[in-house]
Amino acid sequence: MDAINWHSFFFLFFALLACGFSLAVVMTSNIVHMAFYLTLALGATSGLFFLAGADFVGAMQLLIYVGGTLVLLIFGVMLTAKGPFISMKTSAGDLVLGAGVGGALLVLLLAAATQVDAWRVSEPSPPVAQVTASRLGMALLGARVDKLDEKDPVQARGMSGYLLPFEIVSVHLLVVLIGSAYLARPKKRMVGGPVDTA
Amino acid sequence: MDAAVVLPKLLALAWLLPLASFTLIVFFGPRMGHAGVRAGQVATGAILIGCLISLYALFFVWLPYSHAFETPAEEAHAAAAPDHPAATGDEHADASHGDADHADAAHGAEGHAAASHHAPIIKPIAGDWYALGEFGSLRITIGYYIDSLTVLMFSMVTFIATCIHFYANGYMHDELHDVVDHEVKLANGHHLHRPGRFHRFFQYLSLFCFSMLGIVIAGNIAMIFVFWELVGICSYFLIGFYIERKSASNAANKAFIVNRIGDFGMIIGLMALFGSLGTFAFGDLTREVDGKEVTEPGLFSLVRSEANHHHLVVPDGMVKAAAADEIAAGAEPTAEKIAEWRGETEPKQVGRYAYWLLVVAGLGIFCGCVGKSAQFPLHVWLPDAMEGPTPVSALVHSATMVAAGVYLVGRFFPVFVPEVLLVIAITGCITLFLAATIAITATDIKRVLAYSTVSQLGYMMLALGVGGWVAGMFHLITHAFFKSLLFMCSGSVIHACHTNDMMKMGGLRKKMPWTAYTMLAGCLAIMGAGVPFSIGLSGHYSKDAILAQAYSFKDSNPSFGFLFYVAALGAVITAFYMFRLWFLTFAGEPRDHHIYDHAHESPKIMYYPLVVLAVFAVGVGWSTTDFSWFGLHHLFGEFGVRELLDQAQPVGTLEPTHGVLLENLKYPSEHDSHLDKYHITAELVAFGTAISGFLLALAMYDYRILSAAEVRAHFGPIYQLLIHKWYFDEIYNALFVQPTLFLGRRVAQFDKQVIDGLIDRLAWMTRGVAHLDDLIDRYFIDGLVNLTASCTYGVGIWFRGAETGKLRQYVMFIVVATVSLFFLVSLILAGGP
Amino acid sequence: MNLLTQPVGVSHYLIVGAIMFVAGVVCMATKRNALGVLMGIELVLNGANVNFVAFGSVYLRPEVTGIGLDGQLVALFVIVLAAAEAAVALAITLNFYNNHSTVDVDQADELKG
Repeated sequence: MDAINWHSFFFLFFALLACGFSLAVVMTSNIVHMAFYLTLALGATSGLFFLAGADFVGAMQLLIYVGGTLVLLIFGVMLTAKGPFISMKTSAGDLVLGAGVGGALLVLLLAAATQVDAWRVSEPSPPVAQVTASRLGMALLGARVDKLDEKDPVQARGMSGYLLPFEIVSVHLLVVLIGSAYLARPKKRMVGGPVDTA
Repeated sequence: MDAAVVLPKLLALAWLLPLASFTLIVFFGPRMGHAGVRAGQVATGAILIGCLISLYALFFVWLPYSHAFETPAEEAHAAAAPDHPAATGDEHADASHGDADHADAAHGAEGHAAASHHAPIIKPIAGDWYALGEFGSLRITIGYYIDSLTVLMFSMVTFIATCIHFYANGYMHDELHDVVDHEVKLANGHHLHRPGRFHRFFQYLSLFCFSMLGIVIAGNIAMIFVFWELVGICSYFLIGFYIERKSASNAANKAFIVNRIGDFGMIIGLMALFGSLGTFAFGDLTREVDGKEVTEPGLFSLVRSEANHHHLVVPDGMVKAAAADEIAAGAEPTAEKIAEWRGETEPKQVGRYAYWLLVVAGLGIFCGCVGKSAQFPLHVWLPDAMEGPTPVSALVHSATMVAAGVYLVGRFFPVFVPEVLLVIAITGCITLFLAATIAITATDIKRVLAYSTVSQLGYMMLALGVGGWVAGMFHLITHAFFKSLLFMCSGSVIHACHTNDMMKMGGLRKKMPWTAYTMLAGCLAIMGAGVPFSIGLSGHYSKDAILAQAYSFKDSNPSFGFLFYVAALGAVITAFYMFRLWFLTFAGEPRDHHIYDHAHESPKIMYYPLVVLAVFAVGVGWSTTDFSWFGLHHLFGEFGVRELLDQAQPVGTLEPTHGVLLENLKYPSEHDSHLDKYHITAELVAFGTAISGFLLALAMYDYRILSAAEVRAHFGPIYQLLIHKWYFDEIYNALFVQPTLFLGRRVAQFDKQVIDGLIDRLAWMTRGVAHLDDLIDRYFIDGLVNLTASCTYGVGIWFRGAETGKLRQYVMFIVVATVSLFFLVSLILAGGP
Repeated sequence: MNLLTQPVGVSHYLIVGAIMFVAGVVCMATKRNALGVLMGIELVLNGANVNFVAFGSVYLRPEVTGIGLDGQLVALFVIVLAAAEAAVALAITLNFYNNHSTVDVDQADELKG
C-alpha cells in the first residue's frame, strides 16, 4: 500500500467539500441555508486554489468572494428575507427538468474532462516554491517576468501583459459602483395625489 | 365740322346701337315686360335712332362734305388742259380728269345733258378705330371705309330695318304668349306647345342689324369676313326660329352649310390677297409708326395706283409672288425688274401667273358673294330660308343680307379684272334666268318672292359683271325697298290667311286694301313700270340702267350678247310672275271661302310701314334731275341715289378696259350706256318686256283668256322641270348629299364593324389578360406574399411562445442549446475524419 | 482508494469544476428566489475559475507550456467581475423587490412575448 499522498488527500478533502456544499446549495430551498452552504463551498474552492499553487488567487477568493461578494449577497438575503421568500418551493416538474438537463450537461462536461490523456495522467511534480503575488502584480502592470526567457516569438507575444484589461476592469468597477448605488437608492413613495400646497 | 372726324363717329354710333340692344336683350330680354314685350321696343328704338343718325349723316354731313369737293373739281375740270399732268394731281382731281374726258366725248357725240355724270369722285374716308392685334405684317383692325355708298347703305339698311322692326312688333305678337305650333306634331299626337320667344326674335334682329352694318362700314376685308360670318349665323338663327319644325331646322342647316361652301372660296381669295399684298385694308391708311406718319396703301391703291392713272395693273406684290422662282434664284426684285416681269407673258409667263393670282383672288371673293347672295350654283338655300318668320325674310333674305354679296362685289369692284367680271356677269345671268323661271310655277307666296329675290340679285350681279357699277348698286338700293315691301305685304297676307299657298287665296283686295295696293306698288316697282323717257317707279330706273349697260356690253362683245337677251327675257318673266302673284292673291274670286272669311286687314303697326316703304319703292329712284321741268334741281342741286352712287364710283373703273387672258373681252365705260343709242333701246326694251309680262299675267290670271291649266298641260315637261326647280335639289342630293351620306354610312359601318370590332376584340383580349393577371395576382403573387407573411407570422407566434419572460426557462434553453451544440459538433467531428 | 496515493491531475480539478458549474446552472434553473439565482451564478463562475486555475497550475501540469500565469490572471478578473456583477444584480433585485414587493423571478415576466 502506497503512502498517502497528502497533496491528493487535501485535494480530495477540499474537492468533496466544494462539491458537496455546491450540491447542497442546489438541494436546499431555504435561502439562508443556501447562503451558508455557498460560503462553505467557495471557501473550499479557495483551498483547491492553494493546492494548485495559486496562492494569490486563493487569497483573493477568500478576501473578495467570501469576504466581499458573499457578504453582499447575505445582506441581500437579509433585506428580502421576509416570510414567504425565505423558502420558495419549486415545482416538481421544474426540478425534474432541471435535474435532467443538469445531468446531461454534467455528463458532457465530465466526459470532456476525462477524455484528454494529458490531463488525466499526472507525473509527480517537483515542489517548486513559487510566490505568485509579485509576478501577478507585474503582469497586471504589463511585465511578464515569468516569460522573459521565451524564445519562441509567437509565445513571446504574451509579454504584453494585462495592463489594458486591468484599466478596463478598474473603470468597469467604478461604473458598477455608481450604477448599483443608483439602482439601489431609496425610492420616494408617492402616497396619494400631488401635494396640496394651498 | 370736319366730316372725316364726324362721320366715323356718327356711323359707329349707329352701328353699335343694335349691338347694345342685342346685349340688353340677351341679358334682360325675358324680364322686359310681359313675355319680353319691351324687348321689341328696345330693339326698335335702337334701330330707329340708328336710322335717324344715318340719315343725319347722309344729309347733313356727307352732302356738305361732297359739295366741298365739287367746286374745286369743277374748276379743275374747267382748267383741264389736254396735257394735264395726271401723275401730279391729287386723287380726285386725277379721277375727274379721266372721267371728264369720257363725259366730254359723250356730250360731244350725243349732246346728252347729264351734268351729273361727271360728278367729282369724292375721296373716301378710311381709317381704323381699333387695332385688335398685330402679328408680324398681319394687322387685324376694326376699321372703316366711308364713301357715299357706305352712307347710302347705312341709311337704306337702317331705314328698312326700322320699318321691319315696327312691322315685326305686330307680326310677332303671337310669340308674346304660349304658342301652339300646328306644324309640329309630337310623338304623342299633340301639337307642340311652347312658351313664346318674342324677345329672342328681336335679339337676333338686333344682332343681325349690327352685323350687317359692320359689313357695310368695314374698312378691311378681314373685318368684312368676320361680320360676313356673323350675318351668316344670324341668318341661321332666324331661319331656324321655329326650330321645332323639321323643315325650319333643315333649312337653317342648308343655308349655313351652303354659305360655308362660298366662304371657303372667300378664304382662298383672302389668302391670295393677303399672301401677295400683305394688307387687308381697302383704303390708304395713315397711322403713326415710331412717331412718323406712314401712309400704307390699301388694296384699291395697290391694284389701281395713282402712278398707273388708276388703271388696273397687277400689283408688285403679286408679281413678286409669281416670280418667287426667279427671286429664289437670286434676282433682285427692283422696280425695273418687276416691270419687266409684269410684261412677261411668254415664255416664262411670270406676268401671266401674277395676273392669274389676281383672277384667283377676285374669283375667291366672288365665291363668298355667290354663297351669300344665293347665286347659281349656290342659290338653293334662299327659297328654303323662307321657313323663317316673314319679317326675317323681308329684312335678311331680301333687302339686306343677301344684298351683302352684291355689296361686296361692288366694294371690291376695283380689284376685279375683266375675266372675273365676265364670270360674275355669266353667273348673274344664269341665276336671274333660272330663278325667274322657277318663280313662274311656285305657288307658295313667299317662295315666289324668294325666287324673285334670287333673280333680282342675279340682275345686280349681271350689271356689275358687265361693268355697270352704278347700275348694279342702284338696283341693289331700289330692290331693297320694293322687295322688303313685297315681303312684308306677303307677310301681312300670311298673317291674315294663315297659309302660304296662293291657290287658296284670291280676291283679298277687298278684305285688306292697304296690303293689296301697297303690294301693287311694289309689283309695279319691281316690274320697272314707268313711262319711257319721262318718269317711272324706282325699278324702272335701275332696270333700265342694267339693260342699257348690258346692251352697251353686247355692242362691245357681240359674242356675249346673250347676256342682254337673257336680261330682257328675265324682265318679261319678272313682270309675269309678279302679277301672277298679285292677281292670284288679291284679284278674282276667293278660292277658299273659309280662309277668305277669316281674312282681315293687319293692324296699323303692320301696314303703316308698308305705306312708308311703298312711298319709297315708288320714289327712291327719283333724282331731282328727273323733275327738271319742276325746277327741283335748282332748289336742291342734283340729288338722288344715282348721283350719290356716282360719287362712290371706284376710281378708274370708268376707263374702258379689255381682258388679258381673253383679249377680245372689251369693257366699255359705264358712261357709254348713257349714250342714246344704247339708252333709248334699253328703255324701250324694258318697257316692252314689262308690259308684255304684265299683259300675259293679266290674260292668264285675271281675265282668264288663257287657261293656266292648259298652258301647264301643253308645256308638261317644262312645267315639271320648273316645279322641281330645275331639279337642283335633286341633283345636289344625288351628287353631293347622297354620296356624302353613302360615304358616311360606309364609314360608320367600317367604324362599327372593323374599328369597333377591333376595339371590342382588343378589349376582350385585354379583359382576358387582365383576368389571367388577376388570377396570377390573386393566387400566385398574393399567395406568395401571404405565405411569406403567414410564415413570418407563424414563426413569430411560435418564437413568441418561447419568449415566456421566465428567467429560469432561459437558463434552461441556454443549457439545452449548449448540450445540443456539443452533441452536434462531436457528431460531425466523429463522422468527418 | 488510489486517489489518496496517486497524485491528482488537471482532470480531477476539471471534474470538480464541472460539478460546481452544473450545480450552479441547475441552481439558476430551479431557484425561484432571485438571490438563489445569483448564488447559482456565483457557483458557475467559481466552477469556471477552478478550471482556469487548474490549467494554469505548474503543479498539475509540469510540462505546461500553455497558459501558466495567465490562468491565474483570468481567474482574478473573473473574481473582480463576479463582485461587480453581484453588486449590480443585487441592486436590481432590491429595486425589483421595492417595486413588486417580491423576489420571485417567475413574477418578473414583463418581457413575455
